[in-house]
Amino acid sequence: MILLSSVSKQFKNKTAIDNISFKAKEGEIIGFLGPNGAGKTTTMRLILGYLTPTKGKVSIDNLNPLEDRIEVLKKIGYLPENNPLYQEMKVSEYLQFISALKNTDNFLETASRIGLDDVLSSKIEELSRGYKQRVGLAAALIGEPSILILDEPTSGLDPLEQEKIRTYIRKLANPTSSRLRGARAKTIIFSTHILSEVEDVANRLIIIDKGKIVFDEKKPKGKGGVEKLFKKLVK
Amino acid sequence: MKYLYKKELNYYLNNPIGYIVVVLFAVFANFLFVKDIFAIGSASMRSFFSILPWLFLIFVPALTMRILSEEKRVNTIEILLTLPVSEMQIVLAKLLALLTLVVVGLALTLGLPISLSFLTRMYLPEIIAGYLGSIFLAAFCISLSTFFSSLTKNQVVAFLASAISLFFLLVLGTEFTANVLPRSIQDFLVFFSPANHLQNFIKGVIDFRSVFYFVSFTMVFVFLTVVDLEKRN
Repeated sequence: MILLSSVSKQFKNKTAIDNISFKAKEGEIIGFLGPNGAGKTTTMRLILGYLTPTKGKVSIDNLNPLEDRIEVLKKIGYLPENNPLYQEMKVSEYLQFISALKNTDNFLETASRIGLDDVLSSKIEELSRGYKQRVGLAAALIGEPSILILDEPTSGLDPLEQEKIRTYIRKLANPTSSRLRGARAKTIIFSTHILSEVEDVANRLIIIDKGKIVFDEKKPKGKGGVEKLFKKLVK
Repeated sequence: MKYLYKKELNYYLNNPIGYIVVVLFAVFANFLFVKDIFAIGSASMRSFFSILPWLFLIFVPALTMRILSEEKRVNTIEILLTLPVSEMQIVLAKLLALLTLVVVGLALTLGLPISLSFLTRMYLPEIIAGYLGSIFLAAFCISLSTFFSSLTKNQVVAFLASAISLFFLLVLGTEFTANVLPRSIQDFLVFFSPANHLQNFIKGVIDFRSVFYFVSFTMVFVFLTVVDLEKRN
């Protein structure tokens, strides 16, 4: 379980996150919406312990991401914004490297699930943007983490690739209805600018604006509901 | 840590930069020694080991400048720091990979003592101590350059900061400063000069004070680099 209580983060004079609190339970898929600079990436980095909160407390399964960094990071799969990758490595080398650091050996199975079989021996720099995104997603999934944090997983992808990634996130959240049968339901937090994506994938919606949470409930029902709500709350 | 080390080493092995820097180092080291050997008329490796710090001054920062600055520039540092590995493991793996490359460069100069041994009788412990001291000095230079590489996203800045710092540290122990500074300050500065501690090894003496100097200063820069990576601002 992810718990943020009264968390604030300040960068010099700028308040990036202002007193936010929320709880994320197993099996929840949380769509994290907000305009650019609203604090989505900062919140995700605080959960990972990549940033230190100025105020408040973050805990992952009752562990502190800063003090129990290694234990916490074993539980989390992370796809960073803009998906930084070691471009000079081959896909198989990169996934094997991530797998070794996560102390598992299931990288081939994960690569296969994500549809990377054909490009395993290709260099990452030679791949299309869609494939690169899949490599980043596969790296996040290696080691079967119970929590997935995906920062704009479909950013810059064409509609077909976006749909593939969305389908995969849905499968992860509902493993009994897919090839992932037997896998544990995960807590997934993903940020996006595509409002319809939240409607398609998430079961809970958090809208953040100027560092404050302005909405945190189940996603509104009906097509276009998220868009209406977003336009109403974010000005 | 083994996989981090392998990844770093593979970067240089799969990239012309690693080969170019290591081979150039070996070519310069061999040439600078051989060009004067007959003029000096002495078949000793001492002048070779005395040249090495000045070569390290350029080649170690050239090899090391990208090691963390590039990770910061392209943000792959975020991948590393969100994986279950400690900052210490990351820094040590990088240091060991770079040290391996320098050792390969030094190995490419082994032809010199072997050739000399055909001309004259060589004192083996002196050569072993010289190479050992050079490895300690390389570790020191790598840790300092890695620290500067962690402070910036710009490789050129990392290179210049490392090369200038190493230059001043090496100059501290030379006669150049002896003529300008009072004796008491000079003695103090000489103690902190890596060139001065290397001299013991060059003479064939493994002085534990010098070993302690190199190991402790290497660890200080490793620690400072770890502290920089641990900053979560």
